Amino acid sequence: MFSPKTKLSFSKITAGVALTAVCTVLSATAATAAGKPIVIGLTSDASGQYANSGASDRRGMKMAIAEYNAKGGVLGRQIKTVHIDTETTPATGSRVAERMISREKVGFMIGAVSSGVANAISQVAQKYGVVYLNTNSSSPTESGKNCHRVKFVWDGNGKNFALAAVKNAVTAYGKDWLLVTNDYVWGHNTSKATRGLAVANGAKIVDEIMVPQGTRDFSTVLLKVQQAKPSVVAAAVGGDDQKAMRTQIAQLGLGDKFAWINNQQDWPDVYGLPKKNLFGVFGTTWYYKLDLPGVKEFVAKYQAAYPDTKMKVPGNVFYNGYMATKSLLQAIEAAGTTNNHAVIKQLENLKVSAADRMQHHDAWMNPKTHQMQQTVYLATSNPADSAKDDMFKIMSQSAPSAVADMNAEATCKLEALADTPQRES
Amino acid sequence: MDIILNLLPHLLNGLALGLLFALIALGFMLIVGVMELINLAHGSLFALGAYVAMTIIDPNLSGYGAFGEWYMGLSLTLRYIIALAFAPVIVAFVGMGLEICMRRTYGKKAEYGLLLTYGAALVLEETIRITWGSAEQVLQIPDAISGAFIAGGMIYSNYRFFAAGFGLVLILVVWLFLEKTPYGSIIKAGAHDSEMVRALGVNLTRLRLLVFGLGAGLSAIAGVVLTPIWGLRPHVGVDVVIPAFLIIVLGGIGSFWGAVIGGILVGLTVGIVGALAPEWSLMSMYILLIIVITFRTRGLLGKKSALEN
Repeated sequence: MFSPKTKLSFSKITAGVALTAVCTVLSATAATAAGKPIVIGLTSDASGQYANSGASDRRGMKMAIAEYNAKGGVLGRQIKTVHIDTETTPATGSRVAERMISREKVGFMIGAVSSGVANAISQVAQKYGVVYLNTNSSSPTESGKNCHRVKFVWDGNGKNFALAAVKNAVTAYGKDWLLVTNDYVWGHNTSKATRGLAVANGAKIVDEIMVPQGTRDFSTVLLKVQQAKPSVVAAAVGGDDQKAMRTQIAQLGLGDKFAWINNQQDWPDVYGLPKKNLFGVFGTTWYYKLDLPGVKEFVAKYQAAYPDTKMKVPGNVFYNGYMATKSLLQAIEAAGTTNNHAVIKQLENLKVSAADRMQHHDAWMNPKTHQMQQTVYLATSNPADSAKDDMFKIMSQSAPSAVADMNAEATCKLEALADTPQRES
Repeated sequence: MDIILNLLPHLLNGLALGLLFALIALGFMLIVGVMELINLAHGSLFALGAYVAMTIIDPNLSGYGAFGEWYMGLSLTLRYIIALAFAPVIVAFVGMGLEICMRRTYGKKAEYGLLLTYGAALVLEETIRITWGSAEQVLQIPDAISGAFIAGGMIYSNYRFFAAGFGLVLILVVWLFLEKTPYGSIIKAGAHDSEMVRALGVNLTRLRLLVFGLGAGLSAIAGVVLTPIWGLRPHVGVDVVIPAFLIIVLGGIGSFWGAVIGGILVGLTVGIVGALAPEWSLMSMYILLIIVITFRTRGLLGKKSALEN
């Protein structure tokens, strides 16, 4: 039996024990949260049309993550990655995103080359409120009508590249333009942007040839191009399709018969090809031979991290993957939390100096479209008998404001932050 | 008249494309026709042939002293001929290895063979990726067959017509082998009644091994000839399997000339549709298949299909 005094003491002890238990559980939970890694889903293609670019994209993301992990991670937590092949297929992109969020419990997702895949992933990401970085897909719709509050687009888009190239090309090469367009979202929107600008600058579109995705034989297309006799051929053909097309154009010697304007040229799509396959004028956001501070060191870091990779120097796809990932990790650190709303606000206000971007101009995130506004370079094949890897010759560079996609601002309707589910990881 | 003149280059191009398609289907047809097995590794063997040829043409012989210097001193034409001769032989041995793995699936449901060849396709593709990397590669061709020629105001690729001509010659050689040699007779007899062939004292196990090797070798030749046009990357084989399968179904499974006619029809269809409505060019081959199968279930020249068993 207990006396009243003893009873009181017992109550106090019980309360104390309960409080201690609660505190222990809470602190243990907090300690676990602090200690558990931040999981990032890498949604890059490992098969299909953009398998090669997807691998390059992934290497960029991984190098940025490795750098952060080496210095202790973010918010004192290591970063763990999960990669699932998105197969250059939008339906797979949706499934991969669902699985990453529901089963793998990723806090953030990064990666895309195909705009169709990026769009599919971002729809799922928005549903769950998972911040998603579209690193390398370039359809203007990605930061236009398919924009989302959780999605941030890191590459220049078809409109940006067209703005950099089209006006000069009409003046320099002629007014009869023929469009060769990959028959999917990026191709359509890029061609649409090129068409609009070309016509606005006095050009006439003599024909548009649609090329189904997966085309390997371009003989029919090239016969049609010859029959149309245009002065300029503006091609929006990507990935393996483009490699096959370039090879066949070079075999026919058509590279110098027409002025070829290739809206954008990804480094993994041309690396290893003979220089004669690299003709015409094209846009890019970065080149490993840019004479800017930090570029040489960045190339050396890449070579140290990936000594066995066939691609001996980093290209624009790697660069975008790296820069996007680095910016996300900086945003989490600046927010002091993994809360998605806080990270979104950080990214919306992102400003990166030209020195940090290793580009000619400062870059910033457009808060209305979530697209990185950055320097766009026009390049062509390097005719000099220089190193094998030195394939490009940079012709000009345009400031972000000169190539801004104003149409994206008109068409992008971002969801309200309040309508975006909150989450921590 | 203008329309006909405009279509003429496309018809010619479609015919060349058709011969290339027939070349792709040849090895696939042989294995399906004789062994009643759908070889899903066909595309990977196609890719492997091209990679092996690329290595024979331009190997890294920096540590091989005088031999390395001597070999690289050979003309590109000679190295290309060596590659065209030896790459298919090497891939034929790989195919034979695959056939040995296949043996336990004979007499069982077709799914076993399908799964095994599908697995082999994945293994081969990854092996290529690990060995040669995932970046785009170039299979060099001799100067004599590169470049272009002008006819009727249009520029055509020399190599494309060389490839089509080579395809035509190879088709005739395989046909002569199957029709005019005792080995061909045994192979065909094995396809019709394997038990009777065995009863006549023919070693059926060895026959299957040789047929699979021959089919793999033909896939490799197609790879060597076609990748200078389509480009060379580890998954290039994926681009090949579906057209090859489509062509043999269209032509009639097991029919040699069915595969050839099927290939040429697909080439002409893709070429002409590409000229009139390019966005439908790839789709047109599937529509052609649907039309043919609707009226002739066993394909153009097909008899009883292996898939009906």
